This record gives sequence, structure tokens and C-alpha cells, in this order.
Amino acid sequence: MIFSYNFLQSFFKEKLPQPQKLADLLIRYSFEVEKMEKRGNDWLLDIDVLSNRAADCFSYLGIARECAAITGIKLTIKKYNLVEDKTIKIKDLITVEVEDKKICSRYTAKVIKGIKVKPSPKWLQQRLESCGLRPINNIVDAANYIMLETGQPLHTFDLDKIESIAVRQAVKGEKIVSLDNEKYDLDESILIIADKENPLAIAGIKGGKSAEINSETKTIILEAANFDYQSIRAASRKLKLKTDASLRFEHGLDPNLTEFALKRLAGLLQEIAGGKAAKGMIDLYPQKTLPKRIKLDLSYTQKLIGIDITVKEIIKILKSLEFKVISQNQNKELLVEVPTYRLDVSLPEDLIEEIGRLYGYENIEAVLPTTVLIPPKRNEELFWENNIKDILKEAGFSEAYNYSFNSAEQLRNFQFPLAKRPEVKNPMSAEQKYLTPSLIPNLLKNIEKNLDYFNEIKIFELGKTFSKTAAAVAEKKMLTAVISQKGSKPELFYELKGIADLLLNNLGITDVWYDEHQPTPEESKSNIWHSRKCAEIKIGNKEIGFLGEISPVFLDILKIKAKVAVFDLDFQALKEAALEECEYRPISRFPATIRDIAILVPKTAKIIDVLNKINIAGGELVRDVDVFDVYEGISETKKNLAFHIVYQADDRTLTAKEVDQIQNNIITALEKTPEWEVRK
Amino acid sequence: MLKDLKELKDKAQEEVKTANSSRELERISKEYLGKKGELTQILHSLKDLPKTSRAEVGKETNEIIEFLKTEIEKKLSEMEEVDKKEEEQKEWIDVSAPAPKPNLGHLHPLTILKRKIENIFNTMGFTIVEGREVENEWYNFDALNIPKNHPARDAWDTSWLKDGNLLLRTHTSPVQIHYMEEHQPPLRIVVPGKVFRHEATDASHDFQFYQIEGLMVDKEISAANFKAVIEEFFRQFFDKPVKVRLRPGFFPFVEPGFEIDMSCMVCGGKGCSTCQKTGWIEMMGAGMVHPNVLKAAGLNPKNWQGFAFGMGLDRLVMMKYKINDIRLFHGNDLRFLKQF
Repeated sequence: MIFSYNFLQSFFKEKLPQPQKLADLLIRYSFEVEKMEKRGNDWLLDIDVLSNRAADCFSYLGIARECAAITGIKLTIKKYNLVEDKTIKIKDLITVEVEDKKICSRYTAKVIKGIKVKPSPKWLQQRLESCGLRPINNIVDAANYIMLETGQPLHTFDLDKIESIAVRQAVKGEKIVSLDNEKYDLDESILIIADKENPLAIAGIKGGKSAEINSETKTIILEAANFDYQSIRAASRKLKLKTDASLRFEHGLDPNLTEFALKRLAGLLQEIAGGKAAKGMIDLYPQKTLPKRIKLDLSYTQKLIGIDITVKEIIKILKSLEFKVISQNQNKELLVEVPTYRLDVSLPEDLIEEIGRLYGYENIEAVLPTTVLIPPKRNEELFWENNIKDILKEAGFSEAYNYSFNSAEQLRNFQFPLAKRPEVKNPMSAEQKYLTPSLIPNLLKNIEKNLDYFNEIKIFELGKTFSKTAAAVAEKKMLTAVISQKGSKPELFYELKGIADLLLNNLGITDVWYDEHQPTPEESKSNIWHSRKCAEIKIGNKEIGFLGEISPVFLDILKIKAKVAVFDLDFQALKEAALEECEYRPISRFPATIRDIAILVPKTAKIIDVLNKINIAGGELVRDVDVFDVYEGISETKKNLAFHIVYQADDRTLTAKEVDQIQNNIITALEKTPEWEVRK
Repeated sequence: MLKDLKELKDKAQEEVKTANSSRELERISKEYLGKKGELTQILHSLKDLPKTSRAEVGKETNEIIEFLKTEIEKKLSEMEEVDKKEEEQKEWIDVSAPAPKPNLGHLHPLTILKRKIENIFNTMGFTIVEGREVENEWYNFDALNIPKNHPARDAWDTSWLKDGNLLLRTHTSPVQIHYMEEHQPPLRIVVPGKVFRHEATDASHDFQFYQIEGLMVDKEISAANFKAVIEEFFRQFFDKPVKVRLRPGFFPFVEPGFEIDMSCMVCGGKGCSTCQKTGWIEMMGAGMVHPNVLKAAGLNPKNWQGFAFGMGLDRLVMMKYKINDIRLFHGNDLRFLKQF
């Protein structure tokens, strides 16, 4: 909010600090000053009033009070000398009725007869202009000026155009034309000021045309009311209408402020527009707001801020803010009365904040906490997350962070049924409509974009996916890695499988195997995956993820012009299976013997089956079996597999005879399978 | 005979000495030590010698054979060394030429600095805790002293879900409540995490970003303690002493509330374009945990007090790496990611 330095100065007889210095003080003790600008012989300060201080500081008086508290310079409020004419009684001129006292907790009004509408004096016009308000006439300008000064929105009506005043909810179908000639449709959720029949103003927001002040106006009624902030907020949103008045009301205001502001307005008007003020004031204020009293524990004050402040200092600070110290109990406790305009102060902690900030946060000396030495607990999930990320990084993968959302189109492409997806009620764009069920769609989008610049891409992401459950939304962390390669590199599947194995082995997970995927008819999986090149990743019998190439047809849909393979792992399952322990196995002092076996098998035979047979038949002296060649060019139906078999014992050098014996056992075992033929 | 042997030895030794190729040495070896070599011949002819000198000549001959073998070997390895040195001199590489690099991957910059922050707080005894990203109104707002229809809620533009009064958490603060519900103080946690705001994006705003939240609750934890902890954090994070300034701030879940400024890293506090000539950069919001928040989490505010703070991880990373657009974090352009 913009504040004029000269206007602020008018509240003080003594000189305020220079504008730059004042801004500095405000920043340190009260509010951020976002900008300063020189305007003629004045400075404009853009003060970012904290939202809980709107009630008292969306006003010059509030900021002036802050200045007074910070600088110690005495605040002087100009007084207006209002003369009332005893022969004119306000009750004879107007009746006011308030329908709901909760929504309008106070309604005050005064009447002035015989005023003269004309342009405002120059000083007033200038002050309004410096605050961004356009001068209209002396009546309207005076009301705006007192609002700026006190923070209380005020309104004036031409009394000759009104019979009575009612504060009530609008009825559906009612309409109002505002002072600036805009039409608004009203309903029950909007509070209005009405004549016998017609709306005169949208309460707390904007005045209407029908009782507008114009050059003919002679008698005016001045209104200062307090409206419920929630009601004004809702109405302002509904009508999409924000005004200087609504801004102040929707943060809440002190009901005691109306009278103060109303009298000032009457006084000012008499000065600049003449006329005779009727005696008295309409004041519908059934439940008076009294000042709050708060007990302040002095040792708690010291403990919470962490300073050794004396009672004397505390009292001085409280008084500088116009808080009253009602009583004092042996330097232990104060009873403090808070001015009603300080809506933000209701707890001891609120008082402590006032004390702390005016003591000066910069004067608080930093002290490291002294506390029981409790070592932090390791976050297991994060530990494994870090581990996984490091392994993948070392394996050449870069980490992606994607938005957690998908568009409907994206989900349809991936055949995720939309009905099962948690949906955002108010998405900013179509891309942010659904919470993502899988990290794959966005990662594939990353691939598509990066292929413009790279021939080979390896990326991964570890993050949450979402799905609807009966009661809420389930969150599931997934680890998804993608590789893509332009050109015809042999079998991306195997390359990524190697990475998956490397990762799982590094996590201490050894009993992993890859099971051929048997798609069920309703599964969407089968549509994005290459039907012949995908597998379920299992630990024991439990599926922990999926590995496969993306189907060429689907890649076309995504406009990806390179092969892509993906693995998608359940992070929770990984974390549960992962083992930190690692045990050393002594290196045998005795030499190893290596024998090779080549075997002719049908093309559909699985290597894992051959390996299993070799290991079982070979027994514990077979240390390792390596596949070193797979040759498919032999015939239409057969392929040749070649293995190195490493024999070794821990306690002796194996003799050729021993090794021959085991090798023969293996050959015999392999040849028991029909169509498997060991080549000799 | 012995004299002849002496001559033979000298002759052979001289030949080895002057030999200048391995082939020549081979020839010498053959000539003296081969099947038909001179020394071999002598050994063969021992049987023709008188018994008296047979032993002596035999011994001497064998000694010469051994001697010669050693000499030839020595000479051979000397020559090999010379050869290799010569070979080496013929080679040359351009040390300025680029070398192939092993293909390491890259962690996301947010991960790199998130870890750094976590480690700093970890060493100060803070446990790292994560929380849900989909929350309900109670945890995201009410429990944090942000009542329904209160203007304070306007500060958090919220993305709501269609079902079940759920929302995407607008800050990491709900984790404070969850954690305090499950753990008795004293407690010290930091909470990194993804948060969401319902707002338009530009170079410095995104609708999905990352926060790091901290909470310390104990019998007597003060604003002075907070100041010390946070100064230590910034010192370690930026690896040099920095000044920290607390200003009045308002966040419904703390009282008193602070805005935390740090002396500008670029100009050292003198004022530059980065800090808009103020010498300070706004880093985080903080304060002393509001008694209503403690109550909402089931703790008695008479027994416990503490501080909480929260900062934008993205902003911190942008500052540290001089990144000028927050949206780069979710672009996943490898030309960006590979720089970290």
C-alpha cells in the first residue's frame, strides 16, 4: 500500500527521520518497504503491511502509530471542531434497521444539512492523488480521505433521495447500478444497504447510483459501519469487485473505529462543505467490543525470545504501542490491556511478538540450543533413495524431475482409465488435470524432446504416483529408468536388463529373476510394451516391477524415432528387499580350471533353464558359469549357446580327472532334455 | 689345456662385449655353447684326457659355460633396454588432445543441494522426515492455525482434488502436525518435499516446487536458538560466514513470526542488482511454533515451545547455480541436467 511521507509527517509536530531512514526503520521493526519513489517534494513509500495487521495498518494512523513506537516521536492527531445544531435531531430525519447483527455488528450515521457540494480544497486533492485516488467532490473526497487516515471505510448518501435505511441480505433478482455505472446482479449471499425497496449500496463494497451525491445535494447522511469480514470477502469474490472499502473490510476491522471516523468525517465536512450537523448519531451497536486483557508471564517472554529483558523495558515497549499495563505482579506477570484496533493481538505470544520486534530482532544474540544429545534417526527410505540414485548415476543415467500431472490425452494414449485417476478440481491447464499414475508418460515425453539433441539417452526418475482408493488417494513411490538409442543397437532390452541387475545386486538383492509376461486381456500394459520383449521382474514369487521395450507402434504415437526400453520398479519393494550387509568370501589360493560347453537348443529355449541345469548338475565346485556366445544363425529352429564353466575348490587344486567327471555329469544332465544337444 | 681354456674364455668374453645385436649374441651362444659349440666339444672330449687333469679341466669348462651364459643374458637384457628406450623415443602423443570420458550420469541439481541441506541439518541432530503430497484441509490449513474462510488462506492458492475434500499440499508444514502427533518432544526434524500452488507460472514461479521445512520443539527453545541454528546452516551451505537478519513476518502457524534475510552473496551486503541494492536477500519464513499448532498436534503449549522455518529449495538452488528460470527444473533437458 502506498503511503505519502508528507502525509505521515502531518501526524507529528517533530520531524520524522528522513524518508530513506524511516523506510529502513520500518523494515526492521514493522513492515517491508518494497519501493520508494520521489514525487515532487514528497516521497511515496510502498509498504507491504503484513496481512494480520491490515485492521490497524491499512491506514495512515496505523503506520503513524508504528512510526511513533519505533522512533519515540510523539503522535499528534489533528482534532476537528464539530458544531452540532441542537434543533435538528437525527432521529427525526432517518431510521435505520439492521437485519442481522452478526453480519453488521455496528452501524453509525450522522446527518449534515445545508452542505455545499464543490471541488475539494487543493491540499485534500493532493493527498488523495498521492495515494492514487481521483478527487471527485468535497463530500466524496472527504469520506475517502478519512478512510485513508483511519482505515474505516465511509459512505455518504443524499438523504433527500432516501426514506429509510435497512441493512439486509439482497433478494435474488435484485439489481444495483453502481456509482461508476456498472450493473450488478445481487442475491442472498450479498449484504446491501437499502431504502424501503431499492438497494442503495453494496454493503462495505460500493455505493449505488440512486442516492448519489451530486451538485444539487443539500442534506447528506454519513455512514460508518462494521461488516463481517467473511461476508464482505464472499460478496467481493462473487461480484468480482474489489474496492478500497472491501479491501479493508475483508481483513476485519475494529467496530469501535466507526464512531471515531464518523465524527472526524463530520468535522472535516463542516470545515470544507459547511452545513449544520444534526445532533446525535445513529448507533446500532448491541454488543460492544471491549479491550482484551492478556496475562503476560515475564519469564516465558524471556524464554521464548531468548533475551534478558527487564520489566521496565517491556512496559516501555508496550506503552509505546498504546497498550496499557493494568497491573503488575512482582516482576512475574503483567496484565496488559490491548487497544481494540489491534485485532492481531489476543494471546501472550502476540504480545511477546510486539516486545520482540520493538526490542529489535537484530539485538537478539544467537545462542546454540543446549539440549539432550539425541542422534538423528536415519531415514531408511531416503538412505535407499540416495543409494539408488548414486548407482544409476554411476551407470550413466541422469536424473529427471517431472510434474506429477498428466493430461487426459496422455492418459488415454497410455490407456489408463480416467475414472480411476485422482482429478484436480481447478487445474491451471489441461496438462495438469490428473495426478500421474506412472512416471513413464512424462519420462517418454522427456525422451522425445531430448532426441532432438542426443542420439543416446539414459534418464531415470524416483517419485510418487497416485491412484484413487475408497477413502482417499494412495501415493506410491516408483523408480523408473528409460534408455533410448537411435539406430539399430542390438537389443536395448538386454542393456537395460544389465542395468537393472547391476542396480539390484548393488542393493544386495540377489534372488531376482525375469518372468515372461503373460498379459491378461484387460491389461493396458500389453499395449505400450513390445509384446515379445518384456518381462516381469520378480523377487521370489513377488512381482516388483516391469522391464521391456516400448512397442514400435506406440513409439509412433508418441512421435519417438528411436528404440526405447523402460524399467519400472516399486520403490517400496526394493527398499524392503535391499540389504546393506555384505560378507567377504575368501579368495581361493588354488587355481581355477575353465572348461567350455557348447549346446544346440531350440530357439525358444531359455538360457536361465540351461544355466540352472549346469549349476545343479555341477554342484558346489562350479564357481561360475558365463554365457559367452549366443549364435542364432545355425538354422531356422535352433540356436547355439556357449558357456565358460569355472571350476574351483577352496581347499585343493582340482585334478583334471575330477573336473572331467563333473563336466560329464553336466553334459549328461543337459542331454536328458529332448532336443538339447551338447556339441563335442 | 687350462691355458687354452683361459684364452677361449677371454675371446668369448670379448666377443660378447662387442656384439651389437641379439642375432650376433645368438651366434656366439651357438658357437660356444651349442651342440657343436667349442665348450660343448671340450666337455665331450674330457674322456680322452688323462685322469689327472680330467677333473680340473671339466670344472673349469663348466665354470666358463656358466659365466658365458650369464654374460650373454646380461648383454641381452642391456640391449633390450636400449631397444625399448629407442622405441619409446619414436613415440609421441599430443597431450592437449581431448580424451574419451567414462559416461557418468548426473543427479538433478535439486537432489544435489537437497542432500547438502539434509546433511547439514543431520549433523545438527535433525532427523529427515517426508510426508504425503495429497493432504486434507485439516493438516494443510486448520491444524496450522489457518481457519476456513480466513483471509490468511488467500496466501496459499490451492489445487483441490475433485473427491473427498483433498488437496495438493501447498507447503511441507502439514508434516509438522503428523510428526508431532506421532512423536513426543524433544524433537528436531527437517522435511524436504514437493509442494503445489494453484498459480500461473513464469521464470520465478512454478505450480510445483520444493520446500525444506524445519521444526525443533523442546522445553526451552528460543528465537535466539533459531538464530544460531539458521546462521550455522547458511554458513555451512554457502561455505562462508553470512549475516542473517530477522524481520517481523506473519505466518499463521508461528508467533512471533520472522522473515529471514541473508546478506547478499554477490555483493557481500554492499548492495547490487541481485539484492536490489538492499544488501539483503529474502531467504525463508520462520517463527516460534504457534500454541494453536502445538495444541492441534496434541501437545500442551505450557510444556513445549520451539521454532519452525521453511524455505524454497528451488530458489536456493537457483541462487547457488545462477539459474534464471525455475521451469528449467522440470524441463529435463539433458543440456541442462548434464551441467551438474
